[in-house]
Amino acid sequence: MPKTGAVISKFFKEYNTKTPKKLKIVDAYLLYILLTGVVQFAYCLLVGTFPFNSFLSGFISCVSCFILAVCLRLQVNPENKNQFYGISPERGFADFIFAHVVLHLVVMNFIG
Amino acid sequence: MHFFQKMKNSLIIASILLCTQASISDYISKADIEKFLPAFKSTFENFNEEDLSNVYYGAKGFTLLSQPLPANAGDACKHLQKFFKDDSNTEIIFHSLASWSLINCNKILNTKLHKDTTLKALKTILEKQESTTGDIRYALESLSILSEPVPNAIKIVQLLQAQLKEDDTLPSGAGQFATQYVEDVVVQADEVDGRIMQWEGGLTLTSLLLTGLLRLPETKPLTQVQAEKFATYLLTRKTVQNAKGVVCLLEAAFALAKSNVSPVSITFVDFAQNLLSLHLHPVIAQSATRTTDDVVVLSKQPLTAGATPTEFILPLLLDPGHYRLDWVTQTGTSAPRLTKLQHPSKLTSNLQADSSHHLILRFSLSRPVQQPFLRLSSGKREIIFVAELDSSKAYKIDVNLANELSYSAQFDLELILGDSIMSNPLRWSFGSIDVALASQELAEQQAKRGPRPEIVHMFRPAEKRPPHVVSMLFTGLAASPILLLLILWIKVGINFKNFSFAALPFHIGLGGIFALFICFWLKLDMFTTCAWLIPIGGFTFLAGHHILSKLAKQKK
Repeated sequence: MPKTGAVISKFFKEYNTKTPKKLKIVDAYLLYILLTGVVQFAYCLLVGTFPFNSFLSGFISCVSCFILAVCLRLQVNPENKNQFYGISPERGFADFIFAHVVLHLVVMNFIG
Repeated sequence: MHFFQKMKNSLIIASILLCTQASISDYISKADIEKFLPAFKSTFENFNEEDLSNVYYGAKGFTLLSQPLPANAGDACKHLQKFFKDDSNTEIIFHSLASWSLINCNKILNTKLHKDTTLKALKTILEKQESTTGDIRYALESLSILSEPVPNAIKIVQLLQAQLKEDDTLPSGAGQFATQYVEDVVVQADEVDGRIMQWEGGLTLTSLLLTGLLRLPETKPLTQVQAEKFATYLLTRKTVQNAKGVVCLLEAAFALAKSNVSPVSITFVDFAQNLLSLHLHPVIAQSATRTTDDVVVLSKQPLTAGATPTEFILPLLLDPGHYRLDWVTQTGTSAPRLTKLQHPSKLTSNLQADSSHHLILRFSLSRPVQQPFLRLSSGKREIIFVAELDSSKAYKIDVNLANELSYSAQFDLELILGDSIMSNPLRWSFGSIDVALASQELAEQQAKRGPRPEIVHMFRPAEKRPPHVVSMLFTGLAASPILLLLILWIKVGINFKNFSFAALPFHIGLGGIFALFICFWLKLDMFTTCAWLIPIGGFTFLAGHHILSKLAKQKK
C-alpha cells in the first residue's frame, strides 16, 4: 500500500511540474465534462430515462465535448508536435470552437 | 279507384345451435355403457383381501347404471364380512358399509356387517381433533348409511371449519360443506385449450369436486360455459377401464346432467324423458325441425309454456346426440287489414305499422297514365315510390317499411298521377300512416349517413415524471461541476491578464451563437436559427481569425 501511495504522489508531482499550463486548463475542462456526464448517467439509472431524447442529447453532448477536448489536447501538446506539423495551437483551438458550434446546434435540435 | 292496404305478418326465424359453444359433440351411448359393465363385473370376480373399496365401486357402478347385480353378489357379501375390521381407515369402512347396503347383503346373509364397536369407532373419529376432513366425510356418510344419528353436529362443523382454515388444498375441501370456498375451488380448475376444464389430480378429484359443488344447495357454482368444459373433459375420459374411474365418471356426469346448468343435460344419455328448457323472448308457437345427418326427426311441435313467462318446454323423446333446432316465432296478426277508398275521400283514421309490416297500395284508373307515384312525406323529408301495372290492369305499389324507411314518424300518404296530356297532375292526399320502427334500426341507419366523426390523433400519454425535488437536485448536481472547473482553473493560474479588448468581438460573437442556440431550444425553428447563425457565425469567424492570427504572430 505505501508503494501505491508513493506512486500516486509521484505522479501528481510530475504532473504539476512537467505539464504545461495550457494542458492543465484543458485537463480541468475534461474533468468537468466527465463529472457532468456521470451525474446525468446516475440520474438515468436512479430515476429513469424519461424524456429519453433529452437524456440522450445531454449525455451525447458530454461525450462529444470530451472527445473534442481530447483532440484539442493532443494537438496543443508540445510533445506531439511531430505528428501535427503545420497545425498551430491557434488553429487547433479554432477547429475546437467550430466543432462545438456545429455539435451544439445538433444537441439543441435533439433536446426537444 | 280503390286501394287496399295489407299488413303482412312477417316471420322471425331464428336458428339456435344447441350447446352454444358447440363444444360438446359427444355423449355416453349405450355402447359405452356396455363397455363399462365388464369393469364392474370383474370387481365381483377377483376379490382382493386388501381392497374392499373395489367391491364398492363395482356395486356403485351397477346401481348408477340401474343394471341388475351379478349372480355372485352373495360372494361379495361374504368377502366383505370376512375382511371387515373396525380399525381399518374410514374410507375402507365407508366403502364396505356402502357396498353392503348397495348389494343388500342384509337380506342375502341375514346379518349386519357393522358391530357396536364400528359405530363407536366412527363416532370417535368425529370427535377427534386430528381427524382430516376426508375422515370426517367418510365417517358421516357411513353413519348416514347405517341410519344412525350424528352426535354433536355443531362440534363437527366447528372441527371442519378449523380444518379448512388450516388446509386449503383441494382434496380436503371435497366441496361438501364449504360454501364460501366454492369460488376458490372453481378458480383452481385448470383449463386446457380453452375447451376442457379439469382439476389437477385427474378424473377422481375432478369428479369428487364436481359432485360436491353441484350437490351444494342454492348455489350456482359453475357458469354454463364452465359446465360445458367440464362435460367435455368427462367425455374425453370415457375410455377409462377400471371400476373406480368409471364410477367417478358416471357420478360426475349424472351430477352435471341433473344440475340446472342447462342445456348440458340433453347431451347426457338418460333413457328417461329429456326436457329441454329454453329461455327466449315470447314464443307463441314453435315448429322445430331437428336434424342429424340432415334427417328431419321432429317437425311442427308446439312448445308448452313453462314456469316463467319466458320459458317454454319441449319434450324430446329422441336418441341422444347432436341436433340442430330451428325455431319459428310469430308476431303480429296474420290477416291483412284492408281499407277501400274512393277518390277524393280520405282515411278516417291513421294507419298503424311497425317494421314487420308492408304497405301495399293498389288502385285502378279508367285509362293508363305515364307517371303514377305514391309519395310518403314527413316534414321536409319525402320518399316517392313508382306504381307498376300488374296483370289485372291495376296499379300496385308494395312498400317494405323496414327496408325503405329509416326512422319512425307519421308519414302523409299522397297519390300523384301525371301524364303528358294532363296540364295539371292529380294530387290526392288520402291520409297518413304512423310507422314505429325499432330504435336499434334507427341508430344503425343514422350511423350510415352524414360525416364520420373526426379522427383526432392520440398522443402517447406522458410517463410519470419524478418528483420536483429530485429533478431540481439532479439539475443542481449536473451544474455543479462548473464550479469545480472554475476553482481548478484559478488554481492552475489561468492567464486573464493577456485578455485584451481586441479579443472582445470574438467572445461576444461566440456568446451570441450560444444565446441563439438557447433561443432555438426554447422557441425558434431550424430555419430561423440557421438564418441568424450565418451572420453571427461569419462575424465570429472573422473576429476569431483576427485574434488568433494576432496571437500566433506574437508568439513568433
